[in-house]
Amino acid sequence: MSSNYPSLFRSEEMSLVQLYIPSEVAHDTISELAEMGNFQFKDLNPTVTAFQRPFTPRLRRLAESSRRLRLFQSQIKSLAPPLGIPPLSAIPPFTTVGPRAQNAFDELEDKLREHERRLVDMNKSWEELGKRKSELEEKRWVLRETAGFFNEAEHRHTEIRTSFDDGDGTAPLLEHAAEYGTLPPEGGLSSFDLEFVSGTIERTRMPTFERILWRVLRGNLYMNYSEIEEPFIDPTSGKETHKDVFIIFAHGPELLAKIRKVAESMGGALYTIDSSQDKRADALRDVAARLEDVEAVLYNMGQTRRVELSKIAEGLESWKDAVRREEEIYKTLNLLSYDQGRKTLVAEGWCPTRDLTIVQLGLRRAMETAGTSVPAILSELRTHQTPPTFHRTTKFTVGFQTIIDAYGIATYQEVNPGLFAVITFPFLFAVMFGDIGHGFIMFLGGLAMVLFERQIEGKIDENLETFFFGRYIILLMGAFSTFTGFMYNDIFSKSLSIFSSGWEWPTNSTGQVSAISTGHVYPFGLDPVWNGSDNSLIFTNSYKMKMSIILGVIHMTFAICLQVPNHIHFRKPLNIYAEFIPQILFMHSIFGYLVVCVIYKWSVDWSQSSTPPPGLLNMLIYMFLSPGSIEPSTQLYAGQGFVQVVLLLVALVCVPWMLALKPYKLWKEHNAIKEQGYRGIGGVDHGNGHGHGNDDLEEEEEGAGQPVAEPMEEDHPFDMGDIIVHQVIHTIEFCLGCISNTASYLRLWALSLAHAQLSEVLYEMTLESAFLYEGSGVVATIFVFCMFAMWFFMTIAILITMEGLSAFLHALRLHWVEANGKHYMAGGYPFTPLSFAVIGEEADA
Amino acid sequence: MSFFHIVSVGFVVAIIAAAAWFLTPKGKDQVLIRSSVALALTCCYLMWAITYLAQLHPLIAPRRADLRFED
Repeated sequence: MSSNYPSLFRSEEMSLVQLYIPSEVAHDTISELAEMGNFQFKDLNPTVTAFQRPFTPRLRRLAESSRRLRLFQSQIKSLAPPLGIPPLSAIPPFTTVGPRAQNAFDELEDKLREHERRLVDMNKSWEELGKRKSELEEKRWVLRETAGFFNEAEHRHTEIRTSFDDGDGTAPLLEHAAEYGTLPPEGGLSSFDLEFVSGTIERTRMPTFERILWRVLRGNLYMNYSEIEEPFIDPTSGKETHKDVFIIFAHGPELLAKIRKVAESMGGALYTIDSSQDKRADALRDVAARLEDVEAVLYNMGQTRRVELSKIAEGLESWKDAVRREEEIYKTLNLLSYDQGRKTLVAEGWCPTRDLTIVQLGLRRAMETAGTSVPAILSELRTHQTPPTFHRTTKFTVGFQTIIDAYGIATYQEVNPGLFAVITFPFLFAVMFGDIGHGFIMFLGGLAMVLFERQIEGKIDENLETFFFGRYIILLMGAFSTFTGFMYNDIFSKSLSIFSSGWEWPTNSTGQVSAISTGHVYPFGLDPVWNGSDNSLIFTNSYKMKMSIILGVIHMTFAICLQVPNHIHFRKPLNIYAEFIPQILFMHSIFGYLVVCVIYKWSVDWSQSSTPPPGLLNMLIYMFLSPGSIEPSTQLYAGQGFVQVVLLLVALVCVPWMLALKPYKLWKEHNAIKEQGYRGIGGVDHGNGHGHGNDDLEEEEEGAGQPVAEPMEEDHPFDMGDIIVHQVIHTIEFCLGCISNTASYLRLWALSLAHAQLSEVLYEMTLESAFLYEGSGVVATIFVFCMFAMWFFMTIAILITMEGLSAFLHALRLHWVEANGKHYMAGGYPFTPLSFAVIGEEADA
Repeated sequence: MSFFHIVSVGFVVAIIAAAAWFLTPKGKDQVLIRSSVALALTCCYLMWAITYLAQLHPLIAPRRADLRFED
């Protein structure tokens, strides 16, 4: 069944391949395979823990390197005038393959280690100097600010010396600090040799600090403080802190010691300063000079650090890429098993059969790059294991395939509904979203994303990324919505009169008037006369409801028919006549008949008929309740009773047919095998005759299970009970499903009705009210302008985005439940080849 | 007469679909193009045909009470 070209219809044929790789080319071979991205390695030592694997030490070293690279990157990114990291495309690549690669990596490792050491040293002294600098700055502030206090005190102490009353603890000292002055009475008033503590503390802690001191010293202190305007910037974390300078006068060494302790416990920094003005001035000069020195050193160090980092930045991207690749290669090498005697590594894995020659070429290329003369040897294995499912998607189909894969990964080589979802998904969406205007805007949005693909790619945020990923879906949804909009004759809730209407309004009557048919039918879509007429909903509801059922039955029939290629491909003719045929008969004897009746009723001119048009819903109900008897007034066609009895009987026969035939056949087959004497030696013999019945069984049982990678254990006991239970469930599910799923397609009508009504209401509430406004020209113009803005915004936000999402969800459900449920086994597991491209994407995300 | 329209348009659509089926160049997208064109044509034709049929012998006539006549 393999064709010349891959298609979405079935997943790719896969081969289980064994590679014998001489250890000297192992690294380059894996690299080459990952470059091509079409080989999925299997773990050949699943029992070995991660620590015991041979390349784990190497991986650890690589992890260390990648940690270093991350460190460098974060340091470069936090550099103050930002330093650009040249992208991967702008720098020469780091060679990861070839005979020199190993050395190159060792050198790289040394280089990174050296860089890290230097950087860490630099950062350490940078930090120390920074701390030093901020200390000096604080001291400078303390000196400056306290100078103010001392001066103030010196000026005032003569005036207030008599007013001191140190024992007056009740006086709220802090509030009245200025009045009380700064001097305790005992000290020599003129000599001014006070005892005090000065320093800085964080501003937020200041009030607490004050209160504690006040309590601890029972008010025996005088405190003064002032705010430092400039924030201090922490050299390591870059955090800003605001600080206050404080100076506390108190008497007695004990009190001073207490103050010091309190200040230190609150995280304050203490600076000793002298009380004499001259010495303070000296200290200030000294501090300023030292600060200057420190700043100069810091500046130089910053420059060297920047140079160092820019040197690292140059190679950073290529190193990162190389280390990432190397890590992936060694992780893969860990999966292989090592043949000690022959010095070869043995790899096993899946590869698309179509790509085998490409892989062969790749192996030769790897040998050349490695500079040896022994290539890896490829041999194909025959296996009973289930291969992974691999669909080759393009940027156009990948969105649709994702929709299907979200439901389940296709069983290996089964018919892939993704191929058909390309059209049916946007179409069913459009049936719910039909509006020329909304559809066209959506189409333009999709078109813009498709045309400016290159410019947009990778430059939008995560939420919009989803829309971008589905751009082709949006494009097709928009296109189909425009078409269905023409069918519904709806453009922003108005209608187009492209052709002449099939109805005319009488010109002479007033009040409630009915239009008169001109005898011809509006050729393309719904007649515009219905738009705005009083009974338009009655007509469109009946039309859309019936259309939903017709489309639903056709869609489900299509889905059931997709079973057939599967049954033929997997060589199970039994399933065709034990499942497919009764299913399709059951479905069509009830709902197919309904569809035929709908179409028949439409095509009969009831105004010429002797009977009134019958209700089809009642007809369907009475087909079950009173089979065979039709009331003459509700007869649709002659002989209706007989036809309905036959159809009902067919449907009834289908139920036991689905239920019993398959288990019976399987049981008979099993007995036949048993009689041939194969029983009991199954464990030894994996020959031809024995497999068939069991294979069927396995398939049924493991329909949704994980594929087990144990090749040779397949002697399932034949369990009749299991088969019967499974078949009963399957039959009930199908019969009930037929009814509920058909009803489920009515959502097509419901959603399209809701969409049309919502857009009509929006138009009436905004634009129409503006057009009907009777006021002065200027006001009306502004009113219309505002209302248009509102209408347009809400059209985009509610009618297109939100309604679009809701219709999308319903289309999704119709595909997953109603269609996929009929044929899609979805018991596969995805093909996940080793690929550098995928790894790169993940790392960037 | 009108039913004839549906059949004839269906015929035209079928011819277009067949032409697209056979004119699709061989290549890796052949299956995709063939199935997509055929399905798209079928869907659109179905929708049109249903809409047309529904108006063929209408059971009710549009009514409205807000007509104004200009004399």
